[in-house]
Amino acid sequence: MEFQFGEKEEKFRSEIREFVKDNFPPDYFGHLFDEEMDDDAWDFAMSISKKLSQKKWLTMSWPEEYGGTGASTWERVVFGEEAGYWGIPGISMGISGTAWVGPSLMLFGTKEQQDKYIPSIAAGEPDGVWCTAYSEPDSGSDLASLQTFAQKEGDEYVINGQKVWTSCAHRARWMWLACRTNAEVTKKHHGLSLFIVDMKSKGLTVNPIKNFVGGHVFNEIFFKDVRVPANNLVGEENKGWAQLMTALSFERGVAITFCGRARRIFDELLCYAKEIDIFYKPEIRQKFADLAMDLEAAKLLAYEAAWKDHMGMTVIHEPSRDKANFDILLEKLTRIGTNMLGAFSQLDPLNKDTRWTRVKGAVEHLYYYCIGMAIAAGTTFTQKTIVGQFGLQQPKSY
Amino acid sequence: MDFALEKDQELIKKSAREFFEKECPKDKVRELREDPKGYDPNMWKKMTSLGFLGLIIPEQYGGTEGEFIDLMLFMEEIGRNLVPSPFFSTVVLCGMPLMEFGTNEQKDTFLPEIAEKGKIWSFAQTEQLANHEPEDIKLKATLDNDEYTLNGTKLFVPYASAAKYFLVVARTSEGENPEEGITLFIVDSKTDGIETEIIPTTARDVRCEVKFTNVKVPKKNILGEPENGWKIVDYVFQNTAVLKAAEMSGGAQAAFSIVNKYAKERKQFDKPIGSLQAVQFKLVDLLTDIDELKYLVHEAAWNINAGSPSRKLNSMAKAKANAVYHDMCYHGIFLHGAIGWTEEMDIGLYHLRTRSLEFEGGGTDIHMEKIAKELESYQPDFLNLK
Ligand SMILES: Cc1cc2nc3c(=O)[nH]c(=O)nc-3n(C[C@H](O)[C@H](O)[C@H](O)COP(=O)(O)OP(=O)(O)OC[C@H]3O[C@@H](n4cnc5c(N)ncnc54)[C@H](O)[C@@H]3O)c2cc1C
Repeated sequence: MEFQFGEKEEKFRSEIREFVKDNFPPDYFGHLFDEEMDDDAWDFAMSISKKLSQKKWLTMSWPEEYGGTGASTWERVVFGEEAGYWGIPGISMGISGTAWVGPSLMLFGTKEQQDKYIPSIAAGEPDGVWCTAYSEPDSGSDLASLQTFAQKEGDEYVINGQKVWTSCAHRARWMWLACRTNAEVTKKHHGLSLFIVDMKSKGLTVNPIKNFVGGHVFNEIFFKDVRVPANNLVGEENKGWAQLMTALSFERGVAITFCGRARRIFDELLCYAKEIDIFYKPEIRQKFADLAMDLEAAKLLAYEAAWKDHMGMTVIHEPSRDKANFDILLEKLTRIGTNMLGAFSQLDPLNKDTRWTRVKGAVEHLYYYCIGMAIAAGTTFTQKTIVGQFGLQQPKSY
Repeated sequence: MDFALEKDQELIKKSAREFFEKECPKDKVRELREDPKGYDPNMWKKMTSLGFLGLIIPEQYGGTEGEFIDLMLFMEEIGRNLVPSPFFSTVVLCGMPLMEFGTNEQKDTFLPEIAEKGKIWSFAQTEQLANHEPEDIKLKATLDNDEYTLNGTKLFVPYASAAKYFLVVARTSEGENPEEGITLFIVDSKTDGIETEIIPTTARDVRCEVKFTNVKVPKKNILGEPENGWKIVDYVFQNTAVLKAAEMSGGAQAAFSIVNKYAKERKQFDKPIGSLQAVQFKLVDLLTDIDELKYLVHEAAWNINAGSPSRKLNSMAKAKANAVYHDMCYHGIFLHGAIGWTEEMDIGLYHLRTRSLEFEGGGTDIHMEKIAKELESYQPDFLNLK
């Protein structure tokens, strides 16, 4: 039993803080989804990707042959926490070159695919920016029901259909696509395949979708006879579901970054409460105490999942447990935060630098964007379903 | 960062679990509910001879000199099996402050008696306010020559009816600050003027009213510094918070297993109730809470063990325990349906302890305020970058 990081990790933590100090404007905050929504933020993010790559941090968990350093779980945890705390942008190369496109290609891709796509991700190049197209208008939580179809014709596939909610498609160079290659199946999970699609392909239309706060995070995508070379199929045809599940499990391991993010917002709020001198009030103190306890507890669970991974134990339900946990915690944080800001919490998160803005605009931004987080990458309920079945061995609920 | 138990920690956990599963099955727990002693002297003897009472006592006093983490793991097992015994009051409430604040003579006299003979001790603090605050301490101790005279009434004194000694928190002077003027006395329970009566509580783990009428105590029986006894009370309180949280964590884990199993077996509408999302999601929430509680307790205990106790973490562990234990028991009964609300099922036995577990080591509001107190001096990282 040990509840502290080693010297090596703490040293790495201070290196990251040095990096932040040297490369970020003072008081930089880095709101969730800023890179998707704001062109300047995007350019800044890409410049940071490049620098992270030069430091060998961008893909540090990857093996050396792919441009990583084979960093330990704990170094990854420290990086994730700090990235969340300081709002370091550009760490994922779209959605998400670093988190699952690269690792999935290492597992399922051909040598040719690995050579072609992995280096630009590791290098933090614009050419290494991805989007991920899974969801469709009629296939959300029930992902396996997706209908976008890829028909094999000679040494090409011809793709028709529609994707939606595709984050970052307006920034991406490549698309990581899940679609159907066989419609004549008895079980919907069969007959799915993964593809790499060039975003410059003919017949591909990307339309922006604004969210209800006015931000442009995601898009809808139409495929009209989009032709992709047959060797853009990733892994085996019709065996995509298993690969998809692996990729999704990489996606759900976001809790560590949220630990850092939530703690930053907690810290900012606490400073604000002290600054405007309301921290002495019992109802305010009790809320901070409650949040501090929740944050500590959620952090320990995220560490536990990392520890299991580090020990080589199978980690199945834990990332889902932790994603659901942070979905709920972030919402609680914003409810308490907005309440503390009072009238100032109604400021429009589209403008964060007004003279009325409080706490760097963090609270009102998260207030709306935490809902998106709770839906993205599998809703809170989807995560609970996974915990119920795999963590508790309860019978399937549907 | 390492969440695993060391080999010897595993061993303690395993031997405690096996012992209590064998010696203290639920039938035994039910039987002891009807016994005014509230514990089984035979089991107590076995616990003593197996060295459980000396778990944390130094070798020179007949113990095995285990660590705080060992004790924490042991308390988890006590909670898991609902063991009714004077272990906590003897070892944690009295043995530990004796180790920390006792004179060599006191340690020589009393510690081996606990470790080797299983002499029962009880801690007498609570009075009418019952709030863990120094204002609650009204029992008066007045000095006359080399002898103190104690007058007053203590409440909810654990296993007072079986105790050989009391550690009594008394007021020796009235000052501006209620934390000052408090002194702790070691009192032989057979001294004239002590009257004990059992208070009927749901857990029936024998909480008593103890009346002190002109009870004479020699000066040498003061524990620690006179007038400065609140320091000892605080030390006991911090340990109690973490170790009661451990007991509650073990209890909640066990209650959870019972319910998770029941949800797979009980069928309605031709399917297990666990397949219904309202039930399944509740179980998922409870699992998350229980995992959180477990590690908050481990973290707090690890810090105490490492010699860097954190008041913030101690309070988090107990506040979380208070929330989770209640929730687990309430929903544990609820998810059983009516059968859960009967004497027949074990789940109710857990809930009968909620109130005493929650009070001992501090209720939620107390700990929330203690966490907030620590946050007063907390320095956020982002202010330190410049
Ligand atoms: C900010 C954001 C970014 C996104 N980025 C991407 C992206 O880059 N690529 C991509 O492919 N997708 C993306 N998505 C889509 C996301 O994956 C889906 O929104 C999500 O899987 C839910 O699907 P849905 O929106 O169709 O909701 P539905 O599946 O229709 O769900 C509606 C409601 O019903 C509940 N529900 C559904 N099924 C069940 C069930 N079995 N049991 C209990 N409750 C249920 C859900 O929890 C939800 O509350 C993004 C979404 C958001 C909000």
